[in-house]
Amino acid sequence: MSIFIASIAFGLVTSAVLALASVGFTLQFAVTNVLNLAYGAVMIASAFIAYAVNQAGVNVWVAAVVAAATGAVLSLFLNNVIYTPFQRRGTSPIAMVIVALGMTLILEFGTQAIAGGTNVSFTMGQGPTLQAGSFQLSGVELAIIGISIVSMLGIHVLIRHTRLGKAMRATAANRNLARNCGIRTDRVVTLTWLITGALCGLAGAVFAMDAGTFGATSTDLFLVLILAAVFLGGPGEPYGAMLGALVIGLATEISAAFIVPDYKDVVAFVILLAMLAVRPTGLLGART
Amino acid sequence: MSADQPAATAGDQPKVQGVALRTVEVTAGYGGSPIIHAVSIHVEPGEVVSIVGPNGSGKSTLLKSLVGIVEVLSGEVLVGERDVTNWVPEAVARIGVGYVPQVDDIFSPLTVRENLEMGGYLLRPREVSGRVERVLAVFPQLQRMLGRRAGKLSGGERKMLAMGRVLMLQPALVVLDEPTANLAPIVALSVLRDHVRQLALTGASVLIVEQRAKAVLEISDRTYVLGGGQLRMEGTPAELAASPDFVESFLGGGQGATARAAGD
Amino acid sequence: MIYYLTTLLVYGGVDAIACLGLSQQFGVAGVTNFGFIIFQAAGAYTAGVLSLPSDSANGAFQSYVGGLHLPFPFPLIGAAVVGGLLALPFASIVGKRLRGDFAAIGLLVTAVMANLLVTNYRPLLNGAAGLSLVPSPLGGLMNPQSAGYQWGYSAAAVVLAALTYLFVTRITNSPYGRTLRAMRDNDLVADSLGKNLRSLRTSSLVVGGAIAGLSGGLLVGFINLWDPQAWGYAETIVLFAAVIIGGLGNHRGAVLGAVLVPLGFEEASRYIPAIGSPGLIPALQWVAIGLLIVLFLWFRPQGVLPERRRVIAGAAFAEQSTASDPAGAGQRAGRVLGDGAPPPRAPVPLRARGEAGGGDVILEAVGLVRAFDGVRAVDGVSIAFERGRLTGLIGPNGAGKSTTLAMLAGTLPVTEGRILYRGEDITQLPAFRRARSGLVRTFQLASEFKKLTVMENLLTAVPDQQGDTFRGAVLGRRYWGRQERAATERVERMLEEFGLTALADRYAGDLSGGQRRLVEIMRSLMAEPEVLLLDEPMAGVHPRLAHQIGERLVGLCERGMTIVMVEHELAIMDEFCDPVVVMAEGRVLAQGTMASLRATEEVVEAYLVG
Repeated sequence: MSIFIASIAFGLVTSAVLALASVGFTLQFAVTNVLNLAYGAVMIASAFIAYAVNQAGVNVWVAAVVAAATGAVLSLFLNNVIYTPFQRRGTSPIAMVIVALGMTLILEFGTQAIAGGTNVSFTMGQGPTLQAGSFQLSGVELAIIGISIVSMLGIHVLIRHTRLGKAMRATAANRNLARNCGIRTDRVVTLTWLITGALCGLAGAVFAMDAGTFGATSTDLFLVLILAAVFLGGPGEPYGAMLGALVIGLATEISAAFIVPDYKDVVAFVILLAMLAVRPTGLLGART
Repeated sequence: MSADQPAATAGDQPKVQGVALRTVEVTAGYGGSPIIHAVSIHVEPGEVVSIVGPNGSGKSTLLKSLVGIVEVLSGEVLVGERDVTNWVPEAVARIGVGYVPQVDDIFSPLTVRENLEMGGYLLRPREVSGRVERVLAVFPQLQRMLGRRAGKLSGGERKMLAMGRVLMLQPALVVLDEPTANLAPIVALSVLRDHVRQLALTGASVLIVEQRAKAVLEISDRTYVLGGGQLRMEGTPAELAASPDFVESFLGGGQGATARAAGD
Repeated sequence: MIYYLTTLLVYGGVDAIACLGLSQQFGVAGVTNFGFIIFQAAGAYTAGVLSLPSDSANGAFQSYVGGLHLPFPFPLIGAAVVGGLLALPFASIVGKRLRGDFAAIGLLVTAVMANLLVTNYRPLLNGAAGLSLVPSPLGGLMNPQSAGYQWGYSAAAVVLAALTYLFVTRITNSPYGRTLRAMRDNDLVADSLGKNLRSLRTSSLVVGGAIAGLSGGLLVGFINLWDPQAWGYAETIVLFAAVIIGGLGNHRGAVLGAVLVPLGFEEASRYIPAIGSPGLIPALQWVAIGLLIVLFLWFRPQGVLPERRRVIAGAAFAEQSTASDPAGAGQRAGRVLGDGAPPPRAPVPLRARGEAGGGDVILEAVGLVRAFDGVRAVDGVSIAFERGRLTGLIGPNGAGKSTTLAMLAGTLPVTEGRILYRGEDITQLPAFRRARSGLVRTFQLASEFKKLTVMENLLTAVPDQQGDTFRGAVLGRRYWGRQERAATERVERMLEEFGLTALADRYAGDLSGGQRRLVEIMRSLMAEPEVLLLDEPMAGVHPRLAHQIGERLVGLCERGMTIVMVEHELAIMDEFCDPVVVMAEGRVLAQGTMASLRATEEVVEAYLVG
């Protein structure tokens, strides 16, 4: 039982990191209709920039902000310079996947080339520990959960209560019609990628913090979790991604308590395949 | 939704100043190859003008070239006094041109209310709810559907919502692409006789492309007949209905129009 | 030095084989299998566990299943077999109507997960450490470390690669290969021409899987070890990169890609001085591969060696074969259609000659309904089509004509109602089976096979080709050559009649709209239909040519074919169709000759009111 409760604690942290990542991924898909498989690569590249800054003496939380900025810039580059030109040309969705994989190689191994092949860690304190029986969370983990919650609230406010959020929803629902309503969709797409890119960078930083030690290819497996969360909730549905992140995060950690920990990610894999086979629009997506 | 619903009177909503539209020898098409050739039409402020013609005559292409979706290869498009040739769709919308496309005319995942609000994107936030009220006065049936997902509406209801969405900006010119396509005949007639008429009553200029020639003639001030990408005929409904060529161009079909096009 | 060269040759051979398998699967058949690497891995593991002795024998230093200690060539054969069998469950994922990129993700993730499972479940294949001390094939006979053995292995690798090349080339150059390419270009149309997509995709996966397995088996026998690091996420991408860069749809390109990418990179890194940290050069290699992928897809998506246009020797063959093919002798239908003369009657064999002009009903729609999203596009349509008649189907936009046609052909499912063909209920029969029994349709919008020539487009439609099965393809030209020559002649005659001989070797995708329409019509005629469903065949066609096509269609009906034609050109209806059925709002409004319909007020109303 105590393992079970402890695993819930782990699950919440994983869910928190996953939520930051998945919401960004799914919103990118919503406005651009491309599955940005280079997302994990941008995450880890941003984490390494944060690491560099951290090694120069900057506090790790400030470094996380730098990671967010890095993520924003890299993601904007990815969309405006790479994805959009290919899409304008009429590239098929499968070819877009290959392009995204190519960019993943460039970003991940570029990071490895610059940063070296050894795993690194942030210089940071763990902070006070919250403990309630077997339920245990360190200060850092609590901070990560806190950041995630605040970001989710921020996204909620953005989508529901701001003009940009409205424009994003319109662009995602029907880009041409949005233009006929006077919405400058190109600008909306750019802003969306900046915001989701920041989420991506931030997610990279907290992922690295949670992982302890990390290397350039550490997010490869994490991308599977992101995809599982996104497809569970429905590709393009931000609230779906939040729900998906919660479910996948908890499910993987709790299952680790019961089956051999090495296979915990398999749960995510099974859920992903099941969703693709049965309901590709996800739990919250409209059944088309 | 029945045909004998009383039409709202002109005094119900504030009038807009309809604007004139003029095309000057417009040749337009996709990817550099023209579908319509040297088409010149005009819509006077407050007029309802329709464009009819057999399938493949280029009616849709003409409309799309007006709102920036299809490239104008030569010629000009003027709204009011402004040259809007090849402006992007969002810029055209911003000067008061409302476009109702034939398909994909609503935001399916959003509710009816959200669709209307999205139509009012360019408005100041405080103006939005007032506008929504006014649109609901024009299309009262939308009132009971406000919370429903737009994708679940029936064909006629969707078209009504599409027109309501366009009305949010109180456009000076409304452009409609086959609003009755895929609608049952009774619904189609209602859309033309009631809803399109409502649009006209606001004072806006209306340009409407239709397949149902006879029905749209009823509500038009003037009509153009397009065939093979070119203007074939023009006149008031009375003039056209009396002309034997008019019926020929639909039934005798294609022979006249295609032969001429082939001879080009 | 010797070891360097032999290693190079073996790796080259292995990579070439793997790339050829992918080229066949992806480049020719259009099956995107992002889990491809799993098959190579499965082959390597299989060869490993088949040739290793039982794991308890080496004191539990490794643990794995199998351990049958089989001698050469069983491990290698086993590798190919397992690779092929493993493809079967994948076949069910790949065929589904899932968005291309979603399906790709599913497969990619499967590869990642398989790697994870094998890495962590030690008893299966010794986990992360992998298999080692795998015996070299024939290692008992000759010292595996000797130069002789090494050269022998290299030679074997090169020979196997050459054999693989010959095999996939033989398949691709056959009518079966043509069908695969057609499926790649436009699977819906291939389906409507009688091609069984499911079976084609499955066999492509199995063949590709077996070839990949073979490459794995070959490699493991040489390097004597195999672990999960060798087949990660990145390795899958490398193979795809190799095939894309080398040239999609071109097997020589695949070999070139194998040499340039997996091999080339490995070798190039040897010559770069070890600067920076030890991991720098390998990391930069990957960056370079990523760059190459993106750059090639942008600047030269067809690859270094693009797919070759296949020019099928026509006239030369015909001359040769008239001696052995008496039916073809002297049958040159000479006149080109431009001069208004009626087209000569070329003998188009019909498969089931019924009574011409008959009175019996060959195709019948009974209460057909097609409804979705609350819209009833077709609302209770019942039409009986008589054998030997050219029936016209007209009506304003949105009347449901094309939808009805699609339901008759089987390319759209029926919501309610039945379809009877030759008295049998075919409502649930899939489109490709309907095509095979003589019910063929054409499409309204562009439906040519773009990357096939006009000649190839027409040849794909020829039914019952011996070369159009896997077995036939393997048996080779000697088996299907004669039939192919006869078919080619038929195509040439058809092209002459329509005046398009000059276009025979042009890519169908490069033609003008009107020309493509004609290719479509000709192609449907090549299928020797009993009932032909034409969807707006005259759209964009010059009126004089349209007239001549109409005459030809009438001629075909007189000889027993039944034709249903959806059209907007009412003049065509006037001249050629009897009866004409008018539809509006999803229902049948009236039926009769065009003249009588024009006089019917309802019909006039429908057209104007819409």
